[in-house]
Amino acid sequence: MPFAQALWESLVGDSPLVLPVLFLWLTGTLMLWPLDSWLLKRMPKERWSFITAVILIVTCWFVINAPNAIGFADMFRVDGVTKGFQIICIGAGVFTTALGHKQFDALKEHTAEYYALILFSISGMLLLVGATDLVSMFFALELMSLCIYILVGYLRTQERSVEAGIKYFLLGAFSSGILLFGISLLFAATGGTTTNLERLGQAIALAPGNHDLLVFSGVLMVLIGFAFKVAAVPFHMWSPDVYEGAPTPVTAFLSMAPKAAALAAFLRVFGAGFHSVSENWIAPLSFIAAASMILGNIAALRQQSIKRMLAYSSIAHVGYMLLGILSMDTQAGTQAVWFYMTTYLFMQAGAFAVVIHLQGVEEGERIEDFRGLGKRHPLLAFAMMVFMLSLAGIPPLLGFFSKFYLFRLAIIEGFVTLTVIALLTSVIAAYYYLNVVAQMYFKEPDEKELGRMGICTSTVVTVCSAVLLVGTAFGPWIMKWVGKIL
Amino acid sequence: MDQFLSYINQFFSYIGQHLFLIFGLLAVISAAFLVFAKNAVHSVLTFLAAMICIAACYLTLQSEFLAVAQLLIYAGGIVVLFLFVVMLVELSKFKENRLFQKQTPYAVVIVMAGVGGFMWMFRRLIFDSSASIPLTLSPELSEGLNVANQNAQSVSRGLFTGYLLPFETMSVILLIALIGAIVLAKQSRA
Repeated sequence: MPFAQALWESLVGDSPLVLPVLFLWLTGTLMLWPLDSWLLKRMPKERWSFITAVILIVTCWFVINAPNAIGFADMFRVDGVTKGFQIICIGAGVFTTALGHKQFDALKEHTAEYYALILFSISGMLLLVGATDLVSMFFALELMSLCIYILVGYLRTQERSVEAGIKYFLLGAFSSGILLFGISLLFAATGGTTTNLERLGQAIALAPGNHDLLVFSGVLMVLIGFAFKVAAVPFHMWSPDVYEGAPTPVTAFLSMAPKAAALAAFLRVFGAGFHSVSENWIAPLSFIAAASMILGNIAALRQQSIKRMLAYSSIAHVGYMLLGILSMDTQAGTQAVWFYMTTYLFMQAGAFAVVIHLQGVEEGERIEDFRGLGKRHPLLAFAMMVFMLSLAGIPPLLGFFSKFYLFRLAIIEGFVTLTVIALLTSVIAAYYYLNVVAQMYFKEPDEKELGRMGICTSTVVTVCSAVLLVGTAFGPWIMKWVGKIL
Repeated sequence: MDQFLSYINQFFSYIGQHLFLIFGLLAVISAAFLVFAKNAVHSVLTFLAAMICIAACYLTLQSEFLAVAQLLIYAGGIVVLFLFVVMLVELSKFKENRLFQKQTPYAVVIVMAGVGGFMWMFRRLIFDSSASIPLTLSPELSEGLNVANQNAQSVSRGLFTGYLLPFETMSVILLIALIGAIVLAKQSRA
């Protein structure tokens, strides 16, 4: 068969796997060129958020209907795990588009490029969660991060947004360098034959004796690169500043979607690829998990800004989720992490929706701004209480069940010390989450008048709290259902 | 005289065996100069030197096409672009600012530790007597990549068969870079 024909046939055969990605690339590009700059030039910009949400929902449909297969020379794999994490990323995108437009309109910073960048970023995530090769994984990671660097620095007239963007970009580029160097060392350890995760795992397990150091440092550097992307201690330094400086809708996006995608890649690389050399990474990863739980929770205690508090608490949540990656039973670990990430998506989206509403167009985002919300706005305060209690993992809420399954798995896998640390730090976490609740119900309100809540924000708050409350009723059975679909 | 010639011969054959390491080391040294140079133009020139050394590294790995592409794109295009930027932007006002002052001692210690660790690792891997299979820094590595013959062809075949997905992703990454430059630098957004 001639080369061109073979190429064409493999392309046609493989393209259904990345149909959602191709759709996002196409719509993102069309949005920028003929539509925004020419055909729909006069359209009010806030309608783009609606269009973006529709595009994402269509993408979600493509994702659900994608065939389960492996393609592109074993570089991309679609299975239950891929689809599960892809749906989380798309959901985060939908929430973000619903939350952003009010603030950007008020600041006169509304552009179609903002939505296009979100679409491109999500396309990177979709590629990342399905990547089964270190090369395709690296490029997907770069596609995802590059869009987010731009989004973080999007409000270029605000100094702290620009600062956050530059900080994130420089540190992100540096960590990508470390990741890439680690990949190249592993490539060398296999004798320069493969970067495919499965074959790489077999090859480095059989690597000759003097290569163990090479494998060790390669695995460690890949671990560092990923730990940076998910903001785990001690590679978390960028996270509070970036969370605080970025426009709040972007912060919400940043705390949900890239984390889910990077954790999925983490699970694939360490759960499947480096499973055979687990003695090289169990100890460093345990250290990273424990340090994230302890430092994230303790640093969150002293924060005055709710965005910084949520940043530190998300570091802690990543620490909990790393317990699932440590699990030797990869499937159970994946299920627990997926379930945790899904509940985290709803809690975080809801909490950020409330923060964005309170924030209005001003910069006030201190925890004190929640004073007396219970009297001013009882329903909103109730929703916020649900999110905070769920984030803290107070029983019977859904956040408790996700923590419960993760910690139970960790105990079954024998990480007792880590689980004890996780439990103790969850208690610390309850303090600062409950502090917000206390501010809302037991402090006198100030005179500040709140603006009307937009329909989008109220929808996000309603959906998130409804999912958490209804999910609570089904908590004990959810894990069985997760086991069926992943 | 004969002995002298044989010394010279030995010297050159020794160099020939370790060309990759020599050029790699030169690339690292010029990269270090790139970071530490006070004058931005000097930085760009050392960057050029580093790129040429990397092209030479490709040559020692028998990938002539990559070497030529490296020279054309980096040495030819990007360095010139950098020079333009450096000359257009007035850098003299940033001269007195010493960035990263506080962290310098810690950074130096950590970098030295890292360099030492990697040197030790590579020494053990390449030159140690316990190295049962020496790390391949010579044609064997390129054999694994199967690029030794028909360079341009194997690169293009790689791009359009095995590495199609990363290759196309890269094209979108370049598009994002363009969009990002416009988003962050456009005059007005309204």
